Amino acid sequence: MFQTTPTILEQFIIVLGYWDRLLSGFVVTLWLYGWAILIGFFLGLFLAILRQYGGWFISRVSTSYIEFMRGTPLLVQIFIIYYVPLALNFPVGSWNFKTNFLLAGKNITIVLLNQQILAGIITLGLNSAAYQAEYFRGAFMSISTGQLLAAQSLGMSRFSGIRNIILPQALRRVIPAWSNEAAYLPKYTVIVYFIGVLEIFAQAHNIVAITFISLPTYLIVAVIFLITISIISKLLDIVHSRTRIPGL
Amino acid sequence: MLRIHNLYKSYDDLEVLKGISFELARQEVKVIFGPSGSGKSTLLRCINMLDPPDEGEIFLSGQNITASGINLNSVRTKIGMVFQHFNLFSHLKAVDNVSIGLRKVKKLPKEVAQKKALEALDRVRLKDWANHYPAQLSGGQQQRVGIARALAMEPEVILFDEPTSALDPELIGEVLQTMLDLAKSGTTMIVVTHEMGFARAVASEMIYIGDGVVEERGTPQHFFTSPNSDRVKRFLNQLNTLYGTHEQLLQTGDEENYK
Amino acid sequence: MAVPNLFDIFFYIIFQGLPHTLLLTFLGLLGGFVLGIVLALMRVYGSKELQWIASGYEKVMRGIPILVLIYILLFGVPGLFFFIDLRLLPLFSVILALALRSAAYQSQIFRSAILSVNPGQLEAALSIGMSKLQAFRNIIFPQALRLAIPSWSNEYAVVIKDSSFAYGVGIVEITKASYDLGVGFHQLRIITLFVGAFFYLALTYPVTRIIGERQSKKLKNLGMGGG
Repeated sequence: MFQTTPTILEQFIIVLGYWDRLLSGFVVTLWLYGWAILIGFFLGLFLAILRQYGGWFISRVSTSYIEFMRGTPLLVQIFIIYYVPLALNFPVGSWNFKTNFLLAGKNITIVLLNQQILAGIITLGLNSAAYQAEYFRGAFMSISTGQLLAAQSLGMSRFSGIRNIILPQALRRVIPAWSNEAAYLPKYTVIVYFIGVLEIFAQAHNIVAITFISLPTYLIVAVIFLITISIISKLLDIVHSRTRIPGL
Repeated sequence: MLRIHNLYKSYDDLEVLKGISFELARQEVKVIFGPSGSGKSTLLRCINMLDPPDEGEIFLSGQNITASGINLNSVRTKIGMVFQHFNLFSHLKAVDNVSIGLRKVKKLPKEVAQKKALEALDRVRLKDWANHYPAQLSGGQQQRVGIARALAMEPEVILFDEPTSALDPELIGEVLQTMLDLAKSGTTMIVVTHEMGFARAVASEMIYIGDGVVEERGTPQHFFTSPNSDRVKRFLNQLNTLYGTHEQLLQTGDEENYK
Repeated sequence: MAVPNLFDIFFYIIFQGLPHTLLLTFLGLLGGFVLGIVLALMRVYGSKELQWIASGYEKVMRGIPILVLIYILLFGVPGLFFFIDLRLLPLFSVILALALRSAAYQSQIFRSAILSVNPGQLEAALSIGMSKLQAFRNIIFPQALRLAIPSWSNEYAVVIKDSSFAYGVGIVEITKASYDLGVGFHQLRIITLFVGAFFYLALTYPVTRIIGERQSKKLKNLGMGGG
């Protein structure tokens, strides 16, 4: 394709010429990240409450789930979840939901939901839930048990005490540790590459296949992740400073 | 042997030492006392240059240790320190706590260091506890190990920074007794403390420091019969009320129940 | 094709997958340990410039996915390390990626451990004439190591799970072994994958649980971290 090998600068420019693919991949990455955080948050909170305040059996079940998800690699988990419907012989057609738009002269199509993406979202959500549950657990444990007793002594039910006294505090206390998880979660969305989702790493792979320019491509992807994570971190820092409990 | 000349020290805006001077001869025991925050601990940390003074000089056996270019590590082998919170090395047994300085700093061979360490522990009557870890020892025992650690280095002077202030009352006696024995055997000591019974027994001079300056100095006799300033008088009365009974700890002897 | 039974699966994974997983984990942790301590020292005792460099390094290594790092090294390294046998290149890239990444996290662990050692210990060490270096080597570092053990066992678990990304460059470790074994039947694949998951669990759970708890108890007995 080229008469001579392009210089480093030229290589970067060529790769950036495929910005539409990179953008499409990046959108999918963020899309996955958003769902994963959301599912992870609610499921994780639920699991943490079950573990901390549930009965003996429920607490055990919750703990087992958390330990399993935290003790096994994300890659194994996504393979398992991806193959479950296939193993159970569910009719999985090749369905998808996509979005289409025109940007700077290029027609960009982004698939937002299909079999693989669904599996990816579920896995990332289930996995993140386990890790978030640990952070919530830390927050719960840092609130003295006396507070729940005090709430109950006022006549609140256990449930009401958890909802009105423990949760508001726990949610604010957990922000520093939670921000850690939230800011770095985009990294893990790369895992869906292995089941064929076109997120940013997969797109990079394609670009490398087309242009044979490898190092600059992957470096660009790395930079994109760094910038994204920095921005998310900063945003969460702002949230943290706005919601801090004075004196803590 | 030790000469402190015009020490000044500030932390940020707060001036803690405002021109402290005094001298110490061999085998002398000086007791420094005064209200908290008056700079007494800071003074000790200046003397062994853990926290050098902003102005002023310190002469150890004629050598100006505040001058630049001085090897502070070797200077510190000549000045021992016993801390209020013991600061024993928690990952080392008692005997190793005492011997590590001999091995690593004075580069003595293991057997020699071990022997000297056990001797030092014997002097503080803890030889049987040599192989215990600090967490397994009572506060009083830990402090005595701290004293042994300083002793083993054979320093020219030992600085005591409120050695009994962090101890439970029943453990104070054993440490005071140890210090008393040291003083009687000729160890040169500077002791920052509230223990007036100790001062009365062995101090060659007492120095009252208030607000960063030496307000009054003199023999124990002087202080306990007729101090000059009213502040010192009131302070001594307070001390007597709080710590007066400790004198009996010294007289009735030392064979208390060790843990 | 004969369907393997459970024993076959176990043995296949043990002999085909386990060695590479252990190799990757061990070397990755080791590299991360050495570099991590250097970085921690730079951050705790270093000049402003050194601190900035170490801190920057940590930020970068924590901000990129390990898979991306592996590929960057895979394509970037041949230029730098021409003496590496090309067949070993994927393995080398993964080990290097694991080590570089782990170093950033271990640096944090050691830095925090060093700072938790009671400052009085340093004072006491200096007061008997030790230089700062001696004080660090003999007094602070041994204690910091002990304090770091619970967090470090957690990092071990992380690295062992990250080693699964070696699948992406064709190395046969536990994940790839489990995946490949289930070829042909989806139901079989689920089973082999679960067995693979079990292996990871067996390697991580006991360690993090036991070491974590025992260390916390031991530390309480020694009274370390306090005066």
